Amino acid sequence: MAAWLLALLGLAISACAKSSTGNSVLVLLEPSLDKANFSTFFNGLTESGYELTFRAPRDAKPAVIEDDVAQFSHVVVFAPDTKSFAQDVTPQSLVSLLSKGTNLLLALSPKKQTIVNSLAAEFSLILPPPGTPLISHFPERDTPATVIPVKPTENPIVPTKGLLPVWFSGVPFAYSPNPLLVPILNAPSESFAADSTTDSGAEGIVEAADKGGEGLWAGSQLALVAGFQAHGDTRVLWAGGVDMFSDEFAQKESAKGQQSGNAQFVRDAAAWAFRESKVLRIDSVAHHRVNETEPRETYTTNDHVVFNTHISMFNPKTSVWEPYSGISDLQLEFTMLDPHIRTSLPPVPSNPGEYEVTFRVPDRHGVFKFIIDYKRKG
Amino acid sequence: MATNSKAYSLPSNVSPETVANTSSLLRIVSLALISGAAIASRLFAVVNFESIIHEFDPWFNYRATRVLASKGFYAFWNWFDPTAWYPLGRVVGGTVYPGLMATSGVIYNILHALHLPVDIRNICVLLAPGFSALTAWSTYMFTKEMKDESAGLLAAAFIGIVPGYISRSVAGSYDNEAIAIFLLMFTFYCWIKALKTGSALFGTLAALFYFYMVAAWGGYAFITNMIPLHALALILMGRYSSRLYVAYSSWYAIGTLASMQVPFVGFQPVRTSEHMGALGVFGLLQIIAFAELVRSHVSSKQFQSLLYASVIGAGILGTAGIVGLTYKGWIAPWTGRFYSLWDTGYAKKYIPIIASVSEHQPTAWPSFFMDLHFLIFLFPAGVAMCFKQLRDEHVFVIIYAVVASYFAGVMVRLMLTLTPCVCVAAAVAFSSLLDTYIDPAEPNVPKEEAEATEADPGAADAPTTPKKAKKASAPPPTLGDFVGKFVVDEKKPHGIFGLNTRLAVILNALAMLVFFVLHCTWVTANAYSSPSVVLASSNPDGSQHIIDDFREAYYWLRQNTPQDAVVMSWWDYGYQIAGMADRPTLVDNNTWNNTHIATVGKAMSSSEEVAYPILRKHDVDYVLIIFGGLLGYSGDDINKFLWMVRIAQGVWPNEIQEPNYFTPRGEYRVDDQAPPAMKNSLMYKMSYYRFAELFGGQPAQDRVRGQQISKTSPTLDYLDEAFTSENWIVRIYQVRKEDLLGRDLKLANAFEAGRKRKKQKPPVRRRAIA
Repeated sequence: MAAWLLALLGLAISACAKSSTGNSVLVLLEPSLDKANFSTFFNGLTESGYELTFRAPRDAKPAVIEDDVAQFSHVVVFAPDTKSFAQDVTPQSLVSLLSKGTNLLLALSPKKQTIVNSLAAEFSLILPPPGTPLISHFPERDTPATVIPVKPTENPIVPTKGLLPVWFSGVPFAYSPNPLLVPILNAPSESFAADSTTDSGAEGIVEAADKGGEGLWAGSQLALVAGFQAHGDTRVLWAGGVDMFSDEFAQKESAKGQQSGNAQFVRDAAAWAFRESKVLRIDSVAHHRVNETEPRETYTTNDHVVFNTHISMFNPKTSVWEPYSGISDLQLEFTMLDPHIRTSLPPVPSNPGEYEVTFRVPDRHGVFKFIIDYKRKG
Repeated sequence: MATNSKAYSLPSNVSPETVANTSSLLRIVSLALISGAAIASRLFAVVNFESIIHEFDPWFNYRATRVLASKGFYAFWNWFDPTAWYPLGRVVGGTVYPGLMATSGVIYNILHALHLPVDIRNICVLLAPGFSALTAWSTYMFTKEMKDESAGLLAAAFIGIVPGYISRSVAGSYDNEAIAIFLLMFTFYCWIKALKTGSALFGTLAALFYFYMVAAWGGYAFITNMIPLHALALILMGRYSSRLYVAYSSWYAIGTLASMQVPFVGFQPVRTSEHMGALGVFGLLQIIAFAELVRSHVSSKQFQSLLYASVIGAGILGTAGIVGLTYKGWIAPWTGRFYSLWDTGYAKKYIPIIASVSEHQPTAWPSFFMDLHFLIFLFPAGVAMCFKQLRDEHVFVIIYAVVASYFAGVMVRLMLTLTPCVCVAAAVAFSSLLDTYIDPAEPNVPKEEAEATEADPGAADAPTTPKKAKKASAPPPTLGDFVGKFVVDEKKPHGIFGLNTRLAVILNALAMLVFFVLHCTWVTANAYSSPSVVLASSNPDGSQHIIDDFREAYYWLRQNTPQDAVVMSWWDYGYQIAGMADRPTLVDNNTWNNTHIATVGKAMSSSEEVAYPILRKHDVDYVLIIFGGLLGYSGDDINKFLWMVRIAQGVWPNEIQEPNYFTPRGEYRVDDQAPPAMKNSLMYKMSYYRFAELFGGQPAQDRVRGQQISKTSPTLDYLDEAFTSENWIVRIYQVRKEDLLGRDLKLANAFEAGRKRKKQKPPVRRRAIA
C-alpha cells in the first residue's frame, strides 16, 4: 500500500519594531486632524524604520493600488469625519488590499457612517448605530463621560504587564463569531454606548437589560480594539476611535503623576498589525524514510517516515528571522480526506527551530498530505 | 446420390491435384482479401476524422499502454496511479486486465527492435483492425471444424465486416474487446479441436489462449462457463469419452492455474460463484472417468449399481459442499453484474451505477438487424442445421447460440459475443444453400413425378440433408402429412432440377450478400466510426463540420491549470481528462468505488452551500460539465443528471431524493417550472449559467430538452466560470478558495457587488432572570 505524499502547509502566524513585510506606510489623515497631535505615534513608527506617506482622504495621489499592485505595505486610515473618499479607497479596494499583502490599521468614526464603519461588518464586527459613542460615568474623573480610562485586558497581542490604563474615546463594537478575530481591548464593564451623555435613554437601557440584553450596547463584552488576521496572513487592526493614538491622550495622566499607557499600547498594537511581532514562518519541510535522506514519491505500508520542519520567528529589532523552538503544541496530520495520523511535532532540543517526528505510514493507499495546522490567536 | 444428368457441365480434363491446389490458393487469396476488407472497413474512423483514440475506456488503455511502453512492464505492474480517484488513488497494476496493453507493448518493442519508430498511439489505434483480421482467420478455422472450408470462408467474410463486431473494433477503439473476440474464437477453436482429436496439445493451447483471454477481458467468464456447459451437455447426452476427459482436464487444470497469475483475477477462480461451474464439471468428469475405469475392470452387476449410486452420491456431496462454502462465505456469491443478467430490473433497483451505463441496457430489436443484417435470419437456420448432424462441436454451437442470444437480449454490450456465433451459424446455413444449388447433379427422377417436384420452388433442402424431405405440394395438410414431411422418404428422389431454379436461388443469395456488404459499409461509416471525442455535423452545403469542443477544453485544462489541479466531473469523462488533460480526477470510468461516485453525484445534485464543503474537502479546483443545450448534443450531463441523483440517493437517502427533481406532475423539466431542488442544484446552475445571455433577450431555447430557459441566469457564488468551449459543450468552473475574511462566499460576493448588508445586532449573551 502506497502513501503518496504531498506536503501542504497551513500555518497561521502569531506575534514586534520593523515589519517583516515592508516599510512603506500610507496614512490617510483627515485634514481636520492635526498631524502634530499624533506625533508620538507617527514618530514612533518613523523611528522604527517606517517610511510614512501622508495623504488626505480625498486626494487622488498617491494611489493605494496602481496597476493592480498595492503601492504600500501598510495603510492607516484616520478619517473619522470623511464620508466620501477618493475613488481608489472603497470598502472593496480596502479588502482587496488584504489579498495583495497590505496590512491595515483602521479607526472607526463615532459620529458618522463612514466607509470604514460600513466595512466593519465584513470583518464580523457589529457596530452600534452612528452617533452612539462609548460612555462611562466611572471612575469619577474630570474628563467628559465619553473619554474613558480603560484598564488593558489580557490579550495575546499587547503585553499588559505594567501597562497603565489607556484613554479611550470612540465607538465600541461587538463581535460575531469569527475565529480570525483577536480581541485586544475590551470596554470596561460599567460602560455603554448611548447617543447622549445626559442619560435620557437610561430607562430604555434598563428595559433592554431586562429583556435579556437584546439590542444592548453595554458591558465588557463590547470591544474597543480588535485584531483580525485574514487568510493569507495580512493583518487588520480595528480601533474604536482615532483619539487613543493622539499625543493628547498619550500625555494625559491615567494614574497619579503617571502618563497613560496609550503610547505603549498603540505602538504594540501597530507592531502586531504591521507584522513586526508574533510572526512565524515555516522555512522548510522535508520528509524521508528512516535512515534515508531523500524524499520518496511513494511510501509503502510499514515504512517509518521522518517528517521535519524548520520554523523561525521574525525579530523586529534586528530584522532577522531567527529559529524559534518555543512551540510546544505543534501537531502534524497525515491526511487523506480525514487525518489518518495526528501526532505531536515536538521541537528538537539540539537544533533550534527544528521540529521532527517519526511515524509509521498507515496501511491504506491513497494520496496523503502532510498538514501542519497551527492556528493561535495573536 | 448417384445421378445421371447434370444441370451444367464441368470441365472434366482437370486433375484432382490441380483442383486441390487451385482451391487452396483460392482459399489463401480469399482469406487475405477478407483480412484486407476487415481492416479497410475499420479505417473509416481514421479517414473521416484522424488517428485518434475513441470514446472513454480506450483513453485509459492508451494511457496505461504509454506507461508500459515508456517505463517497462514491471513499473506498469506496480503502477499506483495517484491522479485517479483522488485522493484515494488506484492500484492500476492490480485492477486492470493487462492483456491489451501488453500486446501493444510487445508490438511496440518488436517494431522498435526492427528500427521502425512507430508512435505508440498509432499502434493503439490500429490494433483493433489488425486483430479483426486475426478474428476472421480464427472464425474460418472454427467454422471449418463445423462444416467445411467454404463455410469457413463465408464465416470469415461475415465476421470481417459484420457491424456487430465492427462497432467494437474500429480503428481507435482501443478496448479489451478488440483483441478479446479473436481470443474467444481461437480458444473455442482449440477446444473443439482438442475435443475432436482428444489431444492434450490442443487442450493446452486452449488453456493458453484462455489465459490470454483472462488477461485481456473480463468477459473471459463467458468461456469459463461455455466450455463446462458444453462438457456437461455432452456428459448428459451420454457422449462421455476419453477425448472429452483429456480435452477438458488439460484445459481446466492449466487454464485455471494460468488465469490465477493475472493479479486482478487472483484467487477468484476458486473463490467466486461464477467459476464454480467449471470446477464442478471438472470434478464430475473425474468421478465419471473413475467410474468408467472401475466399470471396465469389474463385471458384477450389483457392484456396478453400487458404483453408480456412489458416483451420484459424490456428485451431490460436491454440490452441497460448494453451496455450503458459499453460505460460509468462503466462496463469494454472485456479483450484482451477474444478477442483472437474469433480472434486468435488478441493476436499476440495487446498483444504479451499472444501470446508468447505456451499453448495459437491454437490446432494442432494431439493433439486431442493424448489427447483423440478414445473418439474423440465417442464424436459426444454421442452428437448426447443426441439429442434423449433431456432432460434439455442433452441440457447442447450439449451446453457444442459445446462451449468447439470451445475453445479447439482456445487454446491448453482449451483442458482441453473439456476433461470432451468428456468423458461424449463418455461414453454415448459407454455404449449405450454395452447396445445394451450385451442385450440378440432377436427381434421377421417374418421368411422372418430375413435374410435381419441379413445381415446388421451396425445395431448398440439400441432397446432403436427407432428413428433411421436400414439402409435399398440393393436398390440404393433415397431421399425418405434416409429420410425413419430416419423415424420410427414401424412394422419392429429391433435388434441384434445371439451371433456372438454381440461378434464381443463387442470384437471390448473391443479392443478399451484396446488400449485406452495402449495409455493413453504410453502418460502419455512419454509425460506428465516430470517435465521440470529436463530433461531426454537416454544413448546409453538405460538407463536414468538425465539432472539437472536448479536446479544446481538455487542452485548455492542460495549458492553463497547475499540474496538480484536481478536476471533478461525472465519471464518464474521468479517463478522458486523465488521458487528454493529464489532471487528477475524482472519479473515472473504472467505477470501483460507488461511494466516491455518489459523493460526486451528491455535490452535483445539491445546492452550492452543501456542495462547497464537499468540493473543498476533496481539494477540487475545477469542475467540468458537459452541456449540450446549445448544440443539441443529447449525451450531456443534464440528461445523465438523474443517474447522479439516483446514485447519490443510494448512499444519502435522507439528503438526496429523486422525486424532488421532478415537477409535481412527474415531468423532468429545466425551464421555469423546474422544481427548486433542480434549480438550486450545482449541475443545473453550472449548465445554464449565463446561457440566456447568448440569446440577446430572445427566449433561450435548450435544444436537447426542447424547453425554454428562464431569462435570468442562475447565480454562482462558490464557483467561477473558467472556460466554456466554442459550442458550449464543455464548461469548466473554478472552485473559489475560502473567503479572505472568513465570510460565507455568498456574503463576500454580495459585498463585492456593492450590496448593503442587513444591520446586525450584538449577539445576546445573557438571559433575563424573571
